[in-house]
Amino acid sequence: MAENKRYWSGLDELNKTEAYKEALAVEFQGQQSVDEFLGDERLKETNTGRRDFLKFMGFSITAATLAACETPVVKSIPYVNKPEEITPGIANYYASTYFDGQDFGSVLVKTREGRPIFIKGNKEYGFGGGVLNARINSSVLGLYDSARIQSPMIGKSASDWNTVDEKIMAALSAAKRVAIVSGSVISPSTTRAINEFKARYNADHVQYEAISYQGMRDANQNAFGKAAIPMYHFDKAKVIVSIAADFLSTWLTGNVFAADYAKGRRPEGAWMSKHFQFESAMSVTGTNADARYMISPSQEGKLAAAILDRLNGGNAGVEGVEEGALVKAVAALKANKGNALVVAGSNDVNVQMIVNAINMSLDSYGNTIDIKNPLRAFAGDDRAFAKLVNDMKSGAVDAVIFYGTNPVYSYHNAPDLRDAMSKVATKVSFNLVADETASLCDFCCPDNHYLESWNDLSMVEGRVDLVQPAITPLFNTRQAQTSLLKWCGNAADYYTYLRQTHNAGYTADMMNTDQSWNAAVHNGCMMKAVAEAPAEMEAEVSAPALDVAGAIAAVTAIKGGSFELATYLKAGIGNGSQAANPWLQELPDPVTKVTWDNYVTMAQSDMESMNLNTYLAQRDHASLVKVTANGMEVILPAYPQPGQKPGTVGIALGYGRGAGNENIGRAAFQTKENGEHIVGEDGLFVPIGKNVFPMTTVQNGTPVYANFSVEVVAAEGTYPLACTQMHHTYMGRDSVVKETSYSAFKAEADKPKGKASWNMAHGLAVHEDVNGDGVINAQDKKPISDFDLWHEHPVEGVGHRWGMTIDLSSCIGCGSCITACHIENNVPVVGKDEVLRHRDMHWMRIDRFYSSDYSLERGEEEGLGAIDTYGRMEHPSANPQTVHMPMMCQHCNHAPCETVCPVLATTHSNEGLNQMTYNRCIGTRYCANNCPYKVRRFNWFNYMGYDKFKNFNPSQDSLSRMVLNPDVTVRARGVMEKCSMCVQRIQTGKLDAKKAGTPVADGAVVSACSEACPTHAITFGDLNDNKSNVRGISQNNRAYHALEEVGVQPNIYYMAKVRNTEDQEA
Amino acid sequence: MNRHSFGPSWYRSLIICLFLGFVSSATAGVWEGGDPVKGEQLFNANCASCHKINKEVLAAPGLGGIAERWSASEELLVQWIQNPQAAAASGDPYIKSLVERYVPTFGWMAAQAVSEADIADIMAYVQNPPGKTEVVDTGDACPTIDDLDQGSSNSSATIWFIILFVLFLIIAVSASNVRFSLNNAMRESEGGERLAPISYGMQIRAWAWKNLVFVSLIGLFVVAYVAVVGYQSAMDVGVYEGYRPEQPIQFWHSIHVCENEVDCQYCHSSASKSKHAGIPSTNVCMNCHKGIKNGKRWGEKEIGKIYDAIGFDPTSGQYIENYEEKPIAWTKVHNLPDHVYFNHSQHVAVGGLECQNCHGDVAKFTVGRIAPVEEINALIDDYPTLIQLSKPTLTMGWCIECHNKAEVDLTKSGYYEEIHNRLKKEIRGNEELRNYLGDDKVTVKELGGWECSKCHY
Repeated sequence: MAENKRYWSGLDELNKTEAYKEALAVEFQGQQSVDEFLGDERLKETNTGRRDFLKFMGFSITAATLAACETPVVKSIPYVNKPEEITPGIANYYASTYFDGQDFGSVLVKTREGRPIFIKGNKEYGFGGGVLNARINSSVLGLYDSARIQSPMIGKSASDWNTVDEKIMAALSAAKRVAIVSGSVISPSTTRAINEFKARYNADHVQYEAISYQGMRDANQNAFGKAAIPMYHFDKAKVIVSIAADFLSTWLTGNVFAADYAKGRRPEGAWMSKHFQFESAMSVTGTNADARYMISPSQEGKLAAAILDRLNGGNAGVEGVEEGALVKAVAALKANKGNALVVAGSNDVNVQMIVNAINMSLDSYGNTIDIKNPLRAFAGDDRAFAKLVNDMKSGAVDAVIFYGTNPVYSYHNAPDLRDAMSKVATKVSFNLVADETASLCDFCCPDNHYLESWNDLSMVEGRVDLVQPAITPLFNTRQAQTSLLKWCGNAADYYTYLRQTHNAGYTADMMNTDQSWNAAVHNGCMMKAVAEAPAEMEAEVSAPALDVAGAIAAVTAIKGGSFELATYLKAGIGNGSQAANPWLQELPDPVTKVTWDNYVTMAQSDMESMNLNTYLAQRDHASLVKVTANGMEVILPAYPQPGQKPGTVGIALGYGRGAGNENIGRAAFQTKENGEHIVGEDGLFVPIGKNVFPMTTVQNGTPVYANFSVEVVAAEGTYPLACTQMHHTYMGRDSVVKETSYSAFKAEADKPKGKASWNMAHGLAVHEDVNGDGVINAQDKKPISDFDLWHEHPVEGVGHRWGMTIDLSSCIGCGSCITACHIENNVPVVGKDEVLRHRDMHWMRIDRFYSSDYSLERGEEEGLGAIDTYGRMEHPSANPQTVHMPMMCQHCNHAPCETVCPVLATTHSNEGLNQMTYNRCIGTRYCANNCPYKVRRFNWFNYMGYDKFKNFNPSQDSLSRMVLNPDVTVRARGVMEKCSMCVQRIQTGKLDAKKAGTPVADGAVVSACSEACPTHAITFGDLNDNKSNVRGISQNNRAYHALEEVGVQPNIYYMAKVRNTEDQEA
Repeated sequence: MNRHSFGPSWYRSLIICLFLGFVSSATAGVWEGGDPVKGEQLFNANCASCHKINKEVLAAPGLGGIAERWSASEELLVQWIQNPQAAAASGDPYIKSLVERYVPTFGWMAAQAVSEADIADIMAYVQNPPGKTEVVDTGDACPTIDDLDQGSSNSSATIWFIILFVLFLIIAVSASNVRFSLNNAMRESEGGERLAPISYGMQIRAWAWKNLVFVSLIGLFVVAYVAVVGYQSAMDVGVYEGYRPEQPIQFWHSIHVCENEVDCQYCHSSASKSKHAGIPSTNVCMNCHKGIKNGKRWGEKEIGKIYDAIGFDPTSGQYIENYEEKPIAWTKVHNLPDHVYFNHSQHVAVGGLECQNCHGDVAKFTVGRIAPVEEINALIDDYPTLIQLSKPTLTMGWCIECHNKAEVDLTKSGYYEEIHNRLKKEIRGNEELRNYLGDDKVTVKELGGWECSKCHY
């Protein structure tokens, strides 16, 4: 809590740098004051006289007036034959499934007049509860990507399908050896088609994924005779130990894991899980851990070995890891045998072997790990791919087909692969854009976007998730499976083929009559009985400990250099497949809050010893460092990351896409201040960030996404990083976050709201004897609700009162809500330069606060000298605790913004909304100045027309403009905007209820952020509905208002964060 | 029309009635005993889009005189309506003649979900439409507003005014020149110096100084005039009353709504479901125009544009295969600014407003048009629930004026009942409710209909 704990958003705030203080004082950054403007000497050089100025002004006013008078002639074009299911103005939803090798999610596609415009989770029938992440809900923009290949291509020139088919079939027939390189294929029908193709051309099928999990598959092969990725059940784990696995974000099916994890994090439940995280760079998962310890990438195996040793009664340690950490983690694991789970992010088979042994001795298999019904995705086979590359190099392969994968970008030895490809006579690509791989191919046979495709996906035994098209193909593209079938002489279209997979007797006249199929398409999935696991599997799972001595010896032998590199995946960009998606590029990283960039995360102490700038502000540009590994060097800005293990650096993968200027989308390249692309010395556009896949090393035939010995030196120059962590500060008010420990929570769990020590109602000291002790002092406090500047606004009982609750214990900071809000509300993308000027437009942000329990005040209290105090404060900032706090308009019932608006553009509705009326706003920005939460955003530009934004703003492209939500105004220049609590959804929900003649059901109206939240941290509803979920939560004793002491009475409640920090609580 | 002529119609009817009366003592027949009021509703809901009440052929034969014509059995009539193909299979010669005559042009009638009793009601209405006299020449009964409007232009007066003003100016300038020359001539003749030529401006100034009072009054008048006219024209900015743009097809609402009594929502079918009322898609036009190929006013020309859009060959009566459709680009009439959210279904399905309340007497329109508010107000006699408004149509003042006047019945729907209950339960809400009921009614405004984010987001 604010009284005994210090929160800071970054090192700048912690150390109160000049730039930070400046940011506090100025609401709108980078503005000149009138005095400054008039004092500018250059002003005198201009020769516009007063009279000229008046003339210009008169002319422009007249012109503007005349222009406004003209009646616009708008054309309204109805359908010729209106499809029965479309009513203009009403959205339809179609169940489908997203799978790109990295992410898997059951989605509902919202279409308006036939255009997909929004993706939400299929909560009713979806895999893992239909939870999505930022990458999946942003994938709708890929449909409207004007960089997509729009017709089959031969080389660089457009062609038609007949010609292409003819040529490819001729080449394939002549080829002695053909290979298909695809991502993980989990579709039964696609597998069937590929098998048919293999049989026809005697082809090889190699699965390749940008991010390999083969180490884990190998380990499971060794342990269980089954090269599989098990399903993990984080909801059943009372103790979770993660060794550098970012399982809440990018590790395996992170979205599903996040939802499961949150189930075990409710302090009101029977138990609360305890989460230990060992890692080098701060990951999303690490920020949520109850206990986080720093290790180097080279120590991951050693740590696993030490845990195994200690579980078996030993006392092995790991250099640099405090003894206490191991003792606590092992004690907790031991105490929760059968309910414990250890996961490791390493792709080294040895590390995974040891982890398997640990989980086996903890009885995790069958409890928290399901190896019987494993995940079918993540099937990339690195050895097979390496062999294929060698075969290609030797000229043994005559034709290769790339399907849904881009190895030329992500392969660790890309030059080798390029060389190999040059020796293959016929190269075919199914990729949607001419990416690094497709641009090297002789034929591009563009696949349909997933929103234009049919497919069946079976992630696990027992269910087949269906992909159904939500729009007819926009371009002259053809589904890859149809192409494959065509080339092996099967003229069937893929839809029929797919139906036949599931019903051999299917004929075209059964298209609409098969009720079970119709139900499956409606639900988005087919459920089937799970085949029983073979009996021998049972035996192996319960077998005694594995022999992992060899593995232990191998991991112990790993030596780390003076610097180690741990690569990681960002929640937005992931493996880089959506690098041209401006929504994801502008999504601030959950941990660093940097947008539009790649950088080197470093420990503060390392940066200081290299004399690098450890502060990040608009004017303090980041220092550049040169990282050398595998004989390759990259120069990137250094980002001071609290919690980074000294001696390690972290760089995100997935950047540096389009380095050869492949046409992967305009938003993938850096832009100048005027919006034009930056052209490098080589005459090519400069991609965003650098590709560090080549810097990773290969261990036992699988790439481990780390390098145990790299060189890091300071480089010349600085580089501006567009980091939002200092934007929109609370002017030094700290009482936004409330948190407590699990034991403290339990001790007062039954106290009513406002009475527990960890969530005391705020009081203001008054000059009267309130407590009746005969003295008037600071203890005489009255509740905030007694103080009012304004007439009370009718709240209770007057119609609806829309509100939200946000559980800080459940929020993991993943950013899904930000992209969902961005998409739903047509929030403009502003680009890096504008973010640098603090002009990001996100209606909601996630404030990420670091905290220690040490502060200057406490040092004073304890009588410590200044040096000691600072010393202690420095310690926690090296590995701080983290809070993620979603922040958007709080819809205050006593809103400070409303009273200062001179034109009543922002007013209060009797439904509890702080409404923003754009057409009234004249842009004084007083409201933003007066907002204590700093959630109002000003439209500095005409984002849909101004050239500065042409290269990344979707509304500037005639195709990607289709994604705009027609129910939400695209705001003009010069007006304020902010969270509207998705008022368009509220209005629609109310109208539906009125038409049905029933009250609005709880849950019938949800905001986009609440809908997108994988952990159900955000609950939306009607606070005046006594039976509503949100009403119940708002009366919970953890509920509080942010900045309660300001007395603005928000309609948004936060729930105090509870950490399971006590050791005995495990 | 093929008639079975065996006597004057009243005589025939009498015989039929007697006969049917005799039969109906066993089973109530379809030709009598029906309720014409119910029948009217049923007819309008099920039949009116294709059948007319008189003998005219619309998209199917008119039902006028059906009792006289129908020579097949009553059972077959019922079957014919409920399942036309089955009735045709009976092989009855009359039905066969109907099929031969109409099916090639209009296609089969869709099977109607009406009971025998319903059919009796419809027949009662058809045989004796209450309060309706057969209109012989419907053209005169349906005048259009545009006919009424003609010749009401006053722009010629303005032009004359301007011409007169210019003439006056020329005369004044030449007069002053003449005066100046005469003056000079006089001075010269008197041996004096010629006057230095002075500019018009100086002349005017000199004249103005001489006639200060007159000029001031005129000046005052001009300023006042400019202010008033400026204010008025500023108030007219964004007012589009009477806006009637050219349309690609001469679609006359009067022919469809007045003469043929097509319901508004037959074409604008999403008005009760969606925010858009919807311009009908071409296939909806074809429901009738598959049969009606010749327009009353424009012949084949305008209707041919529909066929051109959808690819229909009127001579063969078939759709052209693989035709590239040409969507019709109508010009939008009711333009709201982008920042306004308006939802038809809220007003039609929930509010229960008549279309005329906002759109006026569309039955008198030619192509789409914005009805001026006075014209709408004048409809009060025909539509007693109409809300009288004063601000120009489609302006924000007009919207919120109506929101202030329109009442909401809190008891009619579960939604409002819940809102009402909440108000009653809470003290605070109780106060609010008492405020609302100060005038014994709860208006849209009182429930939040004046709040910005109801329409702007």
